[in-house]
Amino acid sequence: MKRFALAGNPNCGKTTLFNSLTGSTAHVGNWPGVTVDKREGVYKKCAEPISIVDLPGIYSLSPYTSEEIIARNYILDQKPDCVINIVDATNLERNLYLTTQILEMDVPMVIALNMMDAVEKNGDKIDANELEKRLGVPVVKISALRNKNLNELMDKAYNESKKQRRGYSVLEECDIAHLIADVKTALTGENVANPLFHAVKLVEGDELEVSMHKDVLGIVDEFKKTYQNEIFGDDFEALIADGRYKYISKRFAPVFQRKSKEKFTLTKSDKADKVLTHKIWGIPIFLLILFAIFHLTFSEDFLFLGAIFGLPSLADLGLADQLTGETLSYSAKWLSVIYDGGVMSPGVIINNLWNEIMVGELFGWIQGLVENSNMSPWAIGLINNGIIDGVGAVLSFLPPILVLFLFFSILEDSGYMARIAFILDRMFRRFGLSGRAFMPMIMGFGCSVPAMINTRTLADDKERTATIRVIPFFSCGAKLPILTAIAGAMVMAFGAGNADLLTFEMYVLGIAVAVISVLLMRSTSLKGETPPFIMELPAYHAPQFKNLMLHLWDKTKHFIKKAFTIILASTIVIWLLTHFSFSWKLLEDEQVNESILANIAIFLQPLFTPLGFGSQLGEYGWVFVVAAISGLIAKENVIGTFATLAACLSAVAGFDFNGLVLDAADGVDAVRAIITATKITAPALISFIAFNMTTIPCFAAVGAAKGELQNKKRFNWTLMFWLASSYIVGSAVYTIGSWWWTCFVWAAVIAVTVIVIVMYNKGVFKRSKSV
Amino acid sequence: MPLVIAPQNRELQIIRIAADDKTKKHLESLGIIVNGKVTVLSSAGGSVVCKISEGRIALDGNLSVKIFVR
Repeated sequence: MKRFALAGNPNCGKTTLFNSLTGSTAHVGNWPGVTVDKREGVYKKCAEPISIVDLPGIYSLSPYTSEEIIARNYILDQKPDCVINIVDATNLERNLYLTTQILEMDVPMVIALNMMDAVEKNGDKIDANELEKRLGVPVVKISALRNKNLNELMDKAYNESKKQRRGYSVLEECDIAHLIADVKTALTGENVANPLFHAVKLVEGDELEVSMHKDVLGIVDEFKKTYQNEIFGDDFEALIADGRYKYISKRFAPVFQRKSKEKFTLTKSDKADKVLTHKIWGIPIFLLILFAIFHLTFSEDFLFLGAIFGLPSLADLGLADQLTGETLSYSAKWLSVIYDGGVMSPGVIINNLWNEIMVGELFGWIQGLVENSNMSPWAIGLINNGIIDGVGAVLSFLPPILVLFLFFSILEDSGYMARIAFILDRMFRRFGLSGRAFMPMIMGFGCSVPAMINTRTLADDKERTATIRVIPFFSCGAKLPILTAIAGAMVMAFGAGNADLLTFEMYVLGIAVAVISVLLMRSTSLKGETPPFIMELPAYHAPQFKNLMLHLWDKTKHFIKKAFTIILASTIVIWLLTHFSFSWKLLEDEQVNESILANIAIFLQPLFTPLGFGSQLGEYGWVFVVAAISGLIAKENVIGTFATLAACLSAVAGFDFNGLVLDAADGVDAVRAIITATKITAPALISFIAFNMTTIPCFAAVGAAKGELQNKKRFNWTLMFWLASSYIVGSAVYTIGSWWWTCFVWAAVIAVTVIVIVMYNKGVFKRSKSV
Repeated sequence: MPLVIAPQNRELQIIRIAADDKTKKHLESLGIIVNGKVTVLSSAGGSVVCKISEGRIALDGNLSVKIFVR
């Protein structure tokens, strides 16, 4: 099958084109394998099916970020049959800079002149035929957004892929053209593929190239000594960049005919930026948007209507039980989906519908079928209490994850995300990071894996390492169930506080730990200058419905796949380990304390004593150890494990829930059962959440971190760092929560640490001065 | 003068970029090169948003003092 690669600047519409070309065949390579980071799909409307690879968005083939290296190496080493270079027609000159570099390679290529609709709307014109003549490669006007001319583009590309193309350089009229020609001849003599491309890069003094072709370096250096340019001195890199831009503005730019003669006008997007990136209002507006997103996703009192107008709850109306809050009639149950003392926010309504229909009715119905079948009791137990309760508890959290993810996709697609990075840059600089690091961090609220991969946009290695280490502290979608289930159960069990507020506070705690860790690392092990912030601000545009849905669909597929593979397997293993003793005897639910898992966990229990969920919890306290460890596989497992274990514990007599029937498939109820069984205190529960938030993340994220750090020692230190941070944060939360005066002890420890670091840094400073 | 104090909404010419090689390379690929044209759209506390051909590029305060324009 032929392979075409899509290459182009960031924000040129490359992803939209990729989605339109490949449709449902698109897939993202496995995350844990990290080397596979390219999106691939198949285009079927040509003479033969064509595999399409979406390369990362790049501005140049000179490696600045690791994304640029990936794209560059793909074209050079994997030799696609054709490169489709997407060019944003609204910013022709800048986009053609990359084009002039791809032209130097010996690879067939086609130019896709995208966003033609936007150009024509402005009344401007581009003479594509003239551009094609001047570039020497086919140029096709398209609109990826409106699916215009895509077939024509692919037919042209298919035609080109059958031909050979020799690279040529726009630098041929430049002063140093003969130097490039000499180096090219030398490289051709050595049978190097793409000699022209390598020759230009060698003259530029590109680090990667210099290390690759040491033998021809002599000629280059010899020549460089004799050449002096009055403007650029001996900066060949700048000289070549200048040569490219000069050629572009002289030969290519004239094909663009502007309608208005006026040289400079503020666009709508510029005007919006005057407000949204304002030096005072920028950050408050961002915080307001962030608050609105969380409000729309989680609030059970939409627009605070209930609080403002003092609306009655369902229990006040006599539709629900005063004590348990259970609805009394079928219609009241459906009413409770959208109203209970306040109108639910859209996110909560979706969540309630999903949980009533899917988790409540459907799973309840299946469990009923299994219960009444004539399977042996252990099989019924495994299916109902092991698998369905476990997987159900995890699936019940799909809606909030998707809703939150949808909002972040909208921010990203509209172009606002780049502005947030910009306005936060000044604040981030104080912690030793650039505003660019914000993007992967906020992605961490969705999932750590893509967030860690996104750190490739960071140019500085140390900044990257620091960012990868703190990404898990930005509580991901899978950790959300831990938060909401435990917070919900705590409010019910201890009758105090507010679940929303508690959840929000835990998010803030995670961010605080991240900030402190970054400060600590940037002043000790990962010292270095904060890299500069250079970022393109794409013009604002309405997010595209189709793209959003594709994002959501990807996310859903990923989540469901995980629920039915790794989580399903874990729940079965945990059920089996809790129902067999070391002598392989099948145990009743009541004998759970004799099980293999209980014995292992009891052995490890003392380790967690300083965190509040260790030895002090008595007989059933080991469930927290099991949950924490199962969370290392996938964080969804924590609640899944609680559900499976709660089903066993409920069988142990002597619990009093005020006559309330617990449903183990509901995360909150499962945690309540466990609170009753273990008599765990509130500080210990919060410590448990904090531990899970700041400890080693799931398998997938650990794999991603390993792939992205690309340094064994650094990776091992990262694992140690996660263990240490969770242990310290967990024990601090527990001890301060249990005995408030310990905060003085912690404050003293922190003060001493800060003083030692400051002194040490000064000492190092002195020594290096004396040398 | 450095970009950070340059007048807004006026086309200027870049005369010198005093950044390290790696940063300079990245700036070049975005069109910020010596002899190139740039228009400052807004500047706030050192950070600058400028227009380079049709693109909008944001730069932080440490960098905007290293790019000299005329």
